[in-house]
Amino acid sequence: MGKVILEVKNLKTKYITRFHEDVYSVDGVSLKIEEGKSLGIAGESGCGKSTLALSMMGYYFPPLHYTSGDIIIDGVNISGMDPDKVRTTILGSEIAYIPQAAMNALNPTMKIIRFIEDVIHAHDKSVSKQEIRSRAEAYFKEVGLPPEVLDRHAVELSGGMKQRTVIAVSTILSPKVLIADEPSSALDVTSQKMVIKMMKDLMKNGHIRAMMFITHELPLLYNVTDDIAVMYAGQLVEYGSAHEMVFDPIHPYSHGLMGSILVPEEGTRGANLTAIPGTPPNLKKPPVGCRFAERCKYAKPQCFYTAPAERMFGENGTRMYRCLMDEEELREVYANE
Amino acid sequence: MKGYRKYFGQKLLWFFITLIVAVALNFVLPRLMPTDPVNAITGKIAGGMSDSSAIKEVYEFYQKQFGLDKPMITQFFLFVKNALRGDFGISFSQYPRTVADIISSSIGWTLALQIPAIIVGWILGNVLGAVAAYKRGIWDKGVMPLFMFLGNVPAFAMAIVLLVLFAMKWKIAPSGGGYSSQMIPNMSWKFVKSVLSHYWLPFLSVVIISIGGQAVGMRSMSIYELNADYVKYSRFLGIKDGKIVKYVFRNAMLPQVTGLAMSLGTSIGGALVAETIFSYPGLGTTMLSAVTSSDYPLISATTLIITIMVLLVTLFLDVIYAFIDPRVKAAQFD
Repeated sequence: MGKVILEVKNLKTKYITRFHEDVYSVDGVSLKIEEGKSLGIAGESGCGKSTLALSMMGYYFPPLHYTSGDIIIDGVNISGMDPDKVRTTILGSEIAYIPQAAMNALNPTMKIIRFIEDVIHAHDKSVSKQEIRSRAEAYFKEVGLPPEVLDRHAVELSGGMKQRTVIAVSTILSPKVLIADEPSSALDVTSQKMVIKMMKDLMKNGHIRAMMFITHELPLLYNVTDDIAVMYAGQLVEYGSAHEMVFDPIHPYSHGLMGSILVPEEGTRGANLTAIPGTPPNLKKPPVGCRFAERCKYAKPQCFYTAPAERMFGENGTRMYRCLMDEEELREVYANE
Repeated sequence: MKGYRKYFGQKLLWFFITLIVAVALNFVLPRLMPTDPVNAITGKIAGGMSDSSAIKEVYEFYQKQFGLDKPMITQFFLFVKNALRGDFGISFSQYPRTVADIISSSIGWTLALQIPAIIVGWILGNVLGAVAAYKRGIWDKGVMPLFMFLGNVPAFAMAIVLLVLFAMKWKIAPSGGGYSSQMIPNMSWKFVKSVLSHYWLPFLSVVIISIGGQAVGMRSMSIYELNADYVKYSRFLGIKDGKIVKYVFRNAMLPQVTGLAMSLGTSIGGALVAETIFSYPGLGTTMLSAVTSSDYPLISATTLIITIMVLLVTLFLDVIYAFIDPRVKAAQFD
């Protein structure tokens, strides 16, 4: 087992709406990413994927609020830290973020190089502008972006170019962890491929040491990340290696989710695609029992009033699922379908 | 560089086309008024005369003097030719003063009143809007609505209220004029002091009214920019709030520059009300008396000045926008 770069322990955060209602959008998430590994987070819209990404930055601004839990980056717990200290010493340099709408992530009236200057100066005032320029030029060349981009404004770049520029800006300080929130969802397949390749190369060349990749596109995760976690209604319901998750999902939700996608692998061709009926629960008032019970084909009466805990299983006990039913029971149910 | 030249060339071309059309309209419109100014002057001069041929002679003399006996089209080319030399003819109503003389003695008053007032109002309005958007609380819920209310008070009402309060009730300001009526304009310290004491009340009336409108625009632009994705992204890269606020307000200011330039362009027209009520010796007062006395040359000249100011400001805006806002640059030069 490699060194753990990012560890999240029972993280809980909530949104407080303008009507003073609490929305428990991340409700007890625990995960680990080892050095050189990547974790994909999958789930449908509104399940809390993006909120999880924001919560893991350790810096909160309204309406998002921290409730409890730990975020440990390379042995340093940042969840109790002073927000200003998190901002100057952690954000951008230890943990970096690629936002969902990278199209608008860059200030439209600023040249890219000016923004990079501000990013670097936010962490180290002593670096001179010439130094920043030569560093940025070298870095852009390395990640396959023309250095001319530095003297452009965001509006002058194409969508794919903008996205790759955002990735380059985010990682210019070689952060340990990169959290990418749907970095490729708005792009065409060619640009998607370039973005994915760029992120994989960053990992290979040691610019980042661990990566979390959030998307609703499961087939993409299978090709990009080492592990996959499935999120439902603010909680992780299952995680395991990408291969295990795609070919042997055990939780009824991930089972349904995987059944709803096409995987271009031998043996899956010709399988019927199925959809999961219903909608996710309201997170202002999460159900007392299993959050998926209402949509679960296999739900039993106790599922509606007993909340399931995380259960480890699989070889070496590295996989997790959150269900009241036993592994064998579930496998039997699936086999008889 | 080719893109720039083409862009500016186009803007310049449009500037001249608009200018020509505007000059023509400026010339024609006052002359379409149903009153006959020569009649009025003749009436004044020939007031005691009973000899109808003598009256006719006076009438024809002035008609010739003003060039009104020639066909309209000839008059127009004469007007343009003279205007290019800075000669706008002789005023009908203040005969025999030249229009150029009347304007040059009043335009300074107007510009000195309006430009500082508009700029101060603009700056205060933008600061208020930005603070209201960023700090919220009393600024957003108290100060902001107050200035919005004041901004919607008609200019004449604001001027009258100020006049009643400061000049009549508290007697801390003179009730009108540009300087004390016992003085002849000169460069002495005493005269400057008199000018300043007459200056601040009309100045205040313009400033108070302009704050609200500017603040509303700035506030909504700032709120929009504060919620932009780049703000969130910059925060997550560890950039400090002070810096991010600078990004936000710079971007929010850009549309406000248009607002400033346009109000500078229309300042002379806007000066009319305040100047009239404070009997300020500016171009607004001049224009009003020109209109009421059908003084064609003077109307044409003042409206021409307004037109040219608006056009110049628009041209200037087009040019600077290309430099300060890369979005405009990208949209225009492609």
